[in-house]
Amino acid sequence: MSQSMSIPASQTRRPATMSAGMSDRWFSILLITPAMVVILVFALLPLAYALDVSFRFADLTRGRLGDFVGLDNYRIVLADEAFWKSVGVTLQFTVSAVALEMVLGIAIAFLINGATAGKGIIRSLMVLPLATSAAVTGLFWRYLYDTQFGLINYFLGLLHLPQPNWLGDYTIALWSVVLFDVWQWTPFVALIALAGLQALPKEPFEAAELDGASTFRVLRTLTFPMLKPVLFLVLVLRTIDSVRLYDAVAVLTRGGPGTTTESMTFYLYRTGLKLFRMDYASTMAVFFLYAMLVASLFALAPLLKQFSTRASEG
Amino acid sequence: MLQRPTSFATEALRYGLIVLVLAFIVFPILWMVVTSFKPPQDVMVSPPRFLFTPTLDNYVHAIWEKNFLFYIKNTLFISVTSTVLVVVAGALAAYSFARYNVGDGHILFFILSTKMFPAIAVILPYFLIFRDTGKTAVGRFLGVGLDQPGALIISYTMFNLPFAIWLLVSFFQDIPRELEHSARLDGLSRMKVLRKVVFPLAAPGIAVTGVFTLIFCWNEFLFAYILTRKTASTITVGVESFFTLQGILWGPVAAAATISVLPMMAFVLLMQRYMVRGLTFGAVRG
Repeated sequence: MSQSMSIPASQTRRPATMSAGMSDRWFSILLITPAMVVILVFALLPLAYALDVSFRFADLTRGRLGDFVGLDNYRIVLADEAFWKSVGVTLQFTVSAVALEMVLGIAIAFLINGATAGKGIIRSLMVLPLATSAAVTGLFWRYLYDTQFGLINYFLGLLHLPQPNWLGDYTIALWSVVLFDVWQWTPFVALIALAGLQALPKEPFEAAELDGASTFRVLRTLTFPMLKPVLFLVLVLRTIDSVRLYDAVAVLTRGGPGTTTESMTFYLYRTGLKLFRMDYASTMAVFFLYAMLVASLFALAPLLKQFSTRASEG
Repeated sequence: MLQRPTSFATEALRYGLIVLVLAFIVFPILWMVVTSFKPPQDVMVSPPRFLFTPTLDNYVHAIWEKNFLFYIKNTLFISVTSTVLVVVAGALAAYSFARYNVGDGHILFFILSTKMFPAIAVILPYFLIFRDTGKTAVGRFLGVGLDQPGALIISYTMFNLPFAIWLLVSFFQDIPRELEHSARLDGLSRMKVLRKVVFPLAAPGIAVTGVFTLIFCWNEFLFAYILTRKTASTITVGVESFFTLQGILWGPVAAAATISVLPMMAFVLLMQRYMVRGLTFGAVRG
């Protein structure tokens, strides 16, 4: 296994004298045209549309888009308690799920990395949850969580532990969604951390060994600093995914009991397509997008830079 | 990393923990497959039954009564079409980024940033736009409208392109430039070089990108749930039809889930070598 986050490649440009007929420049633009048209038309146009709707009255039960109402929708949404509650649920889910996945995933990676035999089969079993859809396996988890027929409570009963009402209890339901997410995505963190561990150079560790450095010191001064770029990447990818939480909520709890598991995405969906208030829903979408853009400026800038340097080095 | 001398006890502990982790990961999937072969009367019982005579009743129910093959057929058509579009447009663009560095990284940066778009932010406009196009003659002809495959194909193509381009750029960068260079000196046109030299060399990477895209489309739920009702529904939405007044039919759900999950698992196992690379957009070449 070899891995590289940044490959120092010499910048060799194609000699300009080779261009017969079409120039390199035009050829390169021609090649990206189909993809760029798709992205610009189907990403930016809908966003402009959402922005437009967010400034209008749009109750789908009363027909078409209505008049401009200025910032009214923004005032209403920002004063909407249910909206802020869904933001809270989303943050609570994201922080707990991502933290658990990172800690467990890294621990599992260390565990597997030290194993002498069977790494292949271990990895094969680990990737399986990644092939499944949250909507399909999540639905089946409802059966596992069932208070009557569920396997989880059956095992807890055998061990004489309390048998909670996983999806029906106000205080537990969100944790049940977290547990499902941890099941599906911890292997992802573990696999990538493992690839990072296996790609570490041997020499610094041999030197530390000769110097008699303690295991803890090696971890703190060598292993983790060298793993940092990979771990940061995983953290960002998991966070982006988690704040969009929808599938698991839709099949496991439908936002309930009450609205205790209603994520921002789910509330937005309910406002727009169940209550048909497209104006409020679009306003939330704009707000959500804005939050993501701001977050990416601060949290993702280093990662994007890393990506871009790698690309321009190629 | 350096192997420190380990005692038998620590090794036993390590493998004990690994087995626990694997049990947690595999068990839900295993139980799903087991449940799919249970006779109906053994599914909804407490305590759960571990011994039973396996039957195919649940599969028969899922396929004949719930018409699950219809959803599979839809999913296959939509996923494969989207994948082809993504791979073709993505490979052309990725080659341009990898070789000509078009846009000096800025365009590539922009493409990655669309990955931050929450899908839900564009889904309402999609819903409104497709509702309108579905009523026009052209929209109906192309199947671009609510509950028509074109709407999902467009959505999936759009949402998988950024990922595909990034992954493909990493694969194209692995191909030495010298080969293209000499082919050009031999008088081949740029398009010919692309077709005869570059794409054959990048075939494994293109295949890997295609399989990843296929898996993402196959498993997608949000767009399918909102943009389809019946005629263009995919499997992730199809399992919803197993909700009945008597409750959820867990046996047939397990059967349907097993049918839809197994092919993707086979793909994932085949591509194990590239899993890490694919899941990180090509950033980690594990």
